[in-house]
Amino acid sequence: MRMMPSPPIIEAHELTRRFGDRAALDGVSLTVAGGEIHALLGPNGAGKTTLLRILAGLTTPTHGEVGVLGADASKAERSLRAQIGLVPSGDRTFYLRISGLENLVFFGRLHGMRRSRARARAEELLAYVGLSDAARRPVGTYSHGMQKRLSVARALLTAPPVLLVDEATHDLDPEAAADVRELVRELARHGAAVVWATQRVDEIRGFADRVTLLGEGRVRFAGSVPGLIATTDARTFILRLRNAQLGDAGGRLTRMVCAHGVIAPLDDGGTDHFLLSLTGDSVLGDAVAALQAGGVSVVTCHRERSEIEEAFVALSAEPSP
Amino acid sequence: MTAVAAELVKLPAFLRRDFLVAWSYRLAFFSDFVGLATQMLVFAFIGRLVADDRLPSFNGAEVSYVEFVAIGLVVNLFVQIALTRTATAIRTEQMIGTLEALLMTPTAAATVQLGSAVFDLVYVPLRTAIFLGFLSLVVGLDLESAGILPSAAVLLAFIPFVWGLGLAAAGAILTFRRGAGGMMLGATLLGLASGAFFPLSLLPHWIATLAEYNPLAIAIQGMREALLGGTGWSEVGGHVLLLVPASALSLVCGALLFRLALGRERRRGTLGLY
Repeated sequence: MRMMPSPPIIEAHELTRRFGDRAALDGVSLTVAGGEIHALLGPNGAGKTTLLRILAGLTTPTHGEVGVLGADASKAERSLRAQIGLVPSGDRTFYLRISGLENLVFFGRLHGMRRSRARARAEELLAYVGLSDAARRPVGTYSHGMQKRLSVARALLTAPPVLLVDEATHDLDPEAAADVRELVRELARHGAAVVWATQRVDEIRGFADRVTLLGEGRVRFAGSVPGLIATTDARTFILRLRNAQLGDAGGRLTRMVCAHGVIAPLDDGGTDHFLLSLTGDSVLGDAVAALQAGGVSVVTCHRERSEIEEAFVALSAEPSP
Repeated sequence: MTAVAAELVKLPAFLRRDFLVAWSYRLAFFSDFVGLATQMLVFAFIGRLVADDRLPSFNGAEVSYVEFVAIGLVVNLFVQIALTRTATAIRTEQMIGTLEALLMTPTAAATVQLGSAVFDLVYVPLRTAIFLGFLSLVVGLDLESAGILPSAAVLLAFIPFVWGLGLAAAGAILTFRRGAGGMMLGATLLGLASGAFFPLSLLPHWIATLAEYNPLAIAIQGMREALLGGTGWSEVGGHVLLLVPASALSLVCGALLFRLALGRERRRGTLGLY
């Protein structure tokens, strides 16, 4: 586990951002220390991208204060921009007709690097993100995953102490998503403060140090990933049973567990998988014991949704006060 | 390095980017020349309908309609291309999704704006020079070599005027999203009252009087006098003196309007929307 350095590099206090009558953010506070990966969870429209854009200085809050490296980010000072790397959510953030190398050199020069320095840095970063072989190909020929890795490379041009990542693994296959997460993890190891906005709730386990869950622009949870998991009490499980006698499963199994919950075959009984929903104060062990006592073996048992997903759904769905 | 110098050294990066993009569309790159040549051919035939004595003389030199219109056409085309490119540069970045990535670099918005137009500001005059040279060889366009540098001075004094108009139009497009049609209408009116295709004296008197203060008309007149009449620095200087304050005013107003529009988009949080 990484050490939690201090003091905070990003400090946002009571941020509110209104678009007309709608509040995209409502009193959101957040602190992120150097070396920390801070996950920003929330469903579509929760305010994650708006918060990232405020931290990046691309838009201003209606109320509240936002400090990045001790400077007021809402003033969008140019000197601050070199300190912030942004990996935007969209794919089309490059010049598709020119190569990945030329794209990085161009952005490097806008950061004030001489051409030779920009080229050396671009080649170094392309190797770092595993794109050396594709460096001279037009970006338009890159896959989603390659464009995301190029986007990470661009965000790292100035080795910024702050990295803001918006839905970087959206649309990526698991392997490509893991590659991007590993790149970001490496940066955090070197002391960068990372804000990682995502809807892929399970990717934050073992990856993020802390998490802020947004729902309708408000903070629904802020704390550690284990703390988020602790808010859930999973009640639905998928069981794989043996000797369940599928033809009669519905009635017989229901009678076995009726004191503890409700059980029903998945997929219209075509498989040996069943969905068990516990009721009242029942515990899983009692339901499993009841099945075993009836001569049914429980081969496997796992949660229908992960604990993080349970928390995500439950907390996101809480009505706003 | 001063802040201004630090911004100026970024312009070659834009130049290279846009050259690489333009070169990736090779057919369009070359068809551009063919289009210009075709237009000139059309005017060459129209010129057969126009008696030379209906045209003004420059420094005592009588000119053909092809010679008269060639200068007007290339300057007018320069204005149209440069204005369109300058005005839509930010909008184009917005549409292709690169605007926020650009604004995340420590680069002034005005540099992004000028940088996005710098390729055309360099390439279009270069193309113009090549084209005029080609015409002088093929259709006998009689250009005074002594007028090349004075005409370049007129063009240089005129470029900031176009840039200022482009900045103002860019601000309007950033605010209203769709405004390219209005801008093209403005550019057409500017061209119509410039004497690019016919002498200003053919216009109704009051329009002709107003048109004499049109910076595009002043630039075209200055370049015709230099390139067709071979007038020297002292005569062209008068045109440059008229153009400099107009260009300064245009640039200051345009930069101010653009800055206001960009600030408004940041406050509204709609910079990335199109």
